[in-house]
Amino acid sequence: MVCGDFSGKIYKFFNILVHRTMIYAGRNKVESSHQSPFQERNKELDAHKSNSCRLWWRGKNKHNRYYISEKSTQMAVDSVKQQLNKVFHEDEAPINKKLPKELLLRIFSYLDVVSLCRCGQVSKSWNILALDGSNWQRIDLFDFQRDVEGPIIENISRRCGGFLRQLSLRGCQSMADGSMKTLAQLCPNVEDLNLNGCKKITDATCNALSRHCSKLQRLNLDSCVSITDSSLKAISDGCPNMTHVNISWCCNITENGVEALARGCPKLKSFISKGCKQITSRAVICLANFCQQLQVANLFGCNNIRDEAVQALADKCPRLHYLCLSGCSALTDIALIALAQQCHLLSTLEVAGCSQFTDAAFQALSKNCRFLEKLDLDECVLITDITLIHLAMGCPRIDKLTLSHCELITDEGIRHLSMSPCAAENLTVLELDNCPLVTDASLEHLTSCHNLQRVELYDCQLITRIGIRRLRNHLPNIKVHAYFAPITPPPSAGGSRQRICRCCVII
Amino acid sequence: MSKIKLQSSDGETFEVEIEIAKCSVTIKTMLEDLGMDEDEEEVVPLPNVNSAILRKVIQWATYHKDDPPPPEDDENKEKRTDDISSWDADFLKVDQGTLFELILAANYLDIKGLLDVTCKTVANMIKGKAPEEIRKTFNIKNDFTASEEEQVRKENEWCEEK
Repeated sequence: MVCGDFSGKIYKFFNILVHRTMIYAGRNKVESSHQSPFQERNKELDAHKSNSCRLWWRGKNKHNRYYISEKSTQMAVDSVKQQLNKVFHEDEAPINKKLPKELLLRIFSYLDVVSLCRCGQVSKSWNILALDGSNWQRIDLFDFQRDVEGPIIENISRRCGGFLRQLSLRGCQSMADGSMKTLAQLCPNVEDLNLNGCKKITDATCNALSRHCSKLQRLNLDSCVSITDSSLKAISDGCPNMTHVNISWCCNITENGVEALARGCPKLKSFISKGCKQITSRAVICLANFCQQLQVANLFGCNNIRDEAVQALADKCPRLHYLCLSGCSALTDIALIALAQQCHLLSTLEVAGCSQFTDAAFQALSKNCRFLEKLDLDECVLITDITLIHLAMGCPRIDKLTLSHCELITDEGIRHLSMSPCAAENLTVLELDNCPLVTDASLEHLTSCHNLQRVELYDCQLITRIGIRRLRNHLPNIKVHAYFAPITPPPSAGGSRQRICRCCVII
Repeated sequence: MSKIKLQSSDGETFEVEIEIAKCSVTIKTMLEDLGMDEDEEEVVPLPNVNSAILRKVIQWATYHKDDPPPPEDDENKEKRTDDISSWDADFLKVDQGTLFELILAANYLDIKGLLDVTCKTVANMIKGKAPEEIRKTFNIKNDFTASEEEQVRKENEWCEEK
């Protein structure tokens, strides 16, 4: 019994060794299958590691002669190894001779796209390893946007297969539906696809993605101007895990598309639809109702939306922390007050051009949204120093504040701002361009903002060079952007002759 | 400090502090799984590592014994290769054969920090080189036929600057 057990063990050990040897000797063998051996091999190796340890231990405890047996086993293995080496051609390169495939793949995992493509040209075995899908899980082709054409993507899709999870084709303008269909079919596990600026693609691409890529979580269709509502319907049907969608400047998209998307993709966290002018309040209300996890919403230039849309977002999406409503000029204080009451986590709010907002709305905001960091109030022309007084008291984290074209702002508002906690700690950028009432006194106040790195002062007529110089004396690293027109020469300088252009006289 | 003896494939024995030996996950799990007695005079045979390499591995592990555990591989992050410490860079100024043996040993002994830094070193030997330069660096034979070579060149030319 004991004897049988013992020889069984030897047999097992021998098997493992031979198996390892075969992996080892077979390392140069050109694999014809497209699957990567990486993970499987690693598992095998792990199993081998612990097995051999245990066997060693058992052998050591129970059978002292085990070592001798091991030696004879080793000799047998060596001869097997030699035979195998004869079968597979000898490669002189130590790197191929010594390192098994999974370790070469591990080295390749540190390489960028360019290096991998070059490794693929070194030799046949390197071609297979370098182009193995496991190296191509995340690809950003932005740097090669002008050169990337359909066949390249089809080739990459074939290489990557199920490995591909993240692909950026941003700016690859020659990309068309045919290649994207191939991609969708061959790479069903893609999770993050950036097609920003791939202007040729149409609904056919989204239909293919819907059919094959159910794991898609992030889709950027920024400036894919041909897509329509049926793209969003397709995504809604086939990609229920979608968390991030960007359809900026896809002008054909209407409320119907957004409604379909919202119904099918309840996990949506980020919705960006800059410049989609056909998006209405109803679209945003659907989004709020079905996607209550929404954290990021960018409705820049969606100028058809009304207060009820923002109210719905405020009611249903308490986790909202980034909101851009710039250019939604129909909005009134009602919208902003609703946000202030419900969305306490807001950290970025952009409301440039929402010219109906008044101090009352920003008072409410300052009271409730203490985490505000970035605030763009460009062209909120009705606000006065009172808004700044409230922001100074309520929002200690503000690091970027844009007050461009807020024409009623005076030195007094800037004085309050610069005495606030945010000024002392966080404020790094202040944009005051086109604030005609701001004078050098404001710059004097700003000297207490130790972290201030940039101030915009274009077209602030009352600001002088001397004021800027004084500010720079206190904050030597600050960037000040201002423009002083050259002094207009007095009208008498040229005399009356110059009324006629000289060349005209010659002709 | 309790010690443990490691025996290389060519029979040399190295006495190492247990804490240092345990940076090898293979040795660590083995000791844990099998409940090694502290006072027992144990010799752990490492049949896949020769004495020259084992000496280097122990040197590396001794220098790095107080390092925090290396971070798990994060597939979302692009892997850097420019973060090799100057000590490691000096330590790895060895011939290619030794470097590859170290990779094998680090893999067998499951020492992630050493495996990472050795693989990065080889990756850096590849980066920025043209295919022919890579062949020269590693003495790899070009086994493509002329037409095959032309085909793979064409397939991959999109990523080259023009």
